Amino acid sequence: MSLWRLEVVRLVRTYRLWILLGIFGFFAVLGPATAKYLPEIVEQLGGGVEIAVPVATPELGMAQYLGNALQIGLLAVAFVAASSLAFDSKPEMATFLRTRTTVGRILEPRYVINMAAAAGSFLLGSAIAFAVTAVLIASPSLSGVVVGSLLVALYLCFTVAVTGLFASLLRSVPGTALLTVGVLISLSILGLVPAIRPWLPSELVGAYDALIGGGDFVYWRAAASALALSAGAIAFSVFRMQRREV
Amino acid sequence: MPEVAVEANDITKRYGATTALDDVTLSVRRGSVYGLVGPNGAGKTTLLGILSGLRRPTSGTFAVDAQRIGVLPDTPSFDSWLTAFEVVDLSRALNVPDAPEVSVDAVLDRAGLAHVSGRKVGGFSRGMLQRLGLAAAVVGEPDVLLLDEPAAALDPAGRREVLDMVAALRGSSTVVFSSHILDDVQQVCDTVGILKEGALVYEGTLGDLVRNSEHDAAYEVRFRGDGVPLADILNAEGWVTTVVMADDRLTVSAANAAVIERELTRCVARARIPIISLTPIERSLEDVFLEVTK
Repeated sequence: MSLWRLEVVRLVRTYRLWILLGIFGFFAVLGPATAKYLPEIVEQLGGGVEIAVPVATPELGMAQYLGNALQIGLLAVAFVAASSLAFDSKPEMATFLRTRTTVGRILEPRYVINMAAAAGSFLLGSAIAFAVTAVLIASPSLSGVVVGSLLVALYLCFTVAVTGLFASLLRSVPGTALLTVGVLISLSILGLVPAIRPWLPSELVGAYDALIGGGDFVYWRAAASALALSAGAIAFSVFRMQRREV
Repeated sequence: MPEVAVEANDITKRYGATTALDDVTLSVRRGSVYGLVGPNGAGKTTLLGILSGLRRPTSGTFAVDAQRIGVLPDTPSFDSWLTAFEVVDLSRALNVPDAPEVSVDAVLDRAGLAHVSGRKVGGFSRGMLQRLGLAAAVVGEPDVLLLDEPAAALDPAGRREVLDMVAALRGSSTVVFSSHILDDVQQVCDTVGILKEGALVYEGTLGDLVRNSEHDAAYEVRFRGDGVPLADILNAEGWVTTVVMADDRLTVSAANAAVIERELTRCVARARIPIISLTPIERSLEDVFLEVTK
């Protein structure tokens, strides 16, 4: 049993992997389906009142997937990552690991596996949403879906890194997850400042719809800052946890 | 290889205004079993935490001369979805990756957990978790083993198994184990350190601790017939501190063992009463412990 296998086993036996796959998989089907059948649904529920609904397009199908899945998905990613990265929340568990190896070796598989699970679940969901959208509506831009999905996956990896940062400051799994989500939401408010906006990692989420809709790729700065901030958050968490007493 | 495996010099640990450890200096001989005893809150867990590198002293220095350190917290806890085998195997992989997996089975067997090695530890009792924690610590072949109350939650049979495991490590590993169960300490420890309110008030062998305690030496005299003449003679002696008579026996105590050993037989002879026995009263470790920590 290696530390790498431990993380895989944790995701599988605690059903956390299935929760992530379930959330992104569910909305991958539901998003495009609601985009396609929204007029019929509104007509059934409208009771004779005429309500204008947008025409079903491939872009709307994919946007429905992202919009619905990411709300709950971000919270799930933060909780799943916190339950692994905040290993100091149980002093006895921390004692078991820390007296046998270094904090860096403990955290390495936890970061990698959780990032892979979050990004992989989203990418799989995106692939399903692409297929469902293509069947029900029409095929969206493949290059837009691929690049946009990779950028959102990068944002989810950034989310895991931020979770690790707060895990090194708190000793609570729920506290770490909720603080992560709260801070990520608060950071997007900085987008009101035009000079800062292109650098915000949250811009990567907006890239999904824009690129599928045929927009230009203008997300280098957001991607670079997400990578740099993730690396900084990981380095800080290792440094901080090494110094923290159990 | 140095004779001393664990050494602490003037260790002080403060949490705000609270002093958990106050200038503690101790040394543990390589291959010995060292018992760290003291009442609750005396600083045993804090000291073990510092020696294991999980806490930093506020001042003072310490050295643990070991390639591998095994640590068992007082309430071991593991991921509930792992099996007992996986917990010990993870420990093996982290400490001695070259050791074969079969060593995991052997250690689980010694800990009395072979029959539940495939069971998830979420359903384990505290005693089983404690034995599992010890198995996980031992499988790493530690040079130094730090055990915090390793037998506290065990039934008598389980306690016996754990103490046997600890005793079997003597010579191959250096063991420091904390306990407030003096009987356990008496059974397996070569040396004992007594902590009281964060200070080390005694360090030495158990025999020296009992022998050198400042308490009076005492003898019990059993006799036939009337013991009053003997009690009167003893009460008149200057070296006697107390005389307590009950039925067919009398307990006499003196300031030190030498004087009582020299003078008591003389007094008994003068009383001219039939004597059944003269027995020194051995003081238990518990008596001495209570005296030292009071």
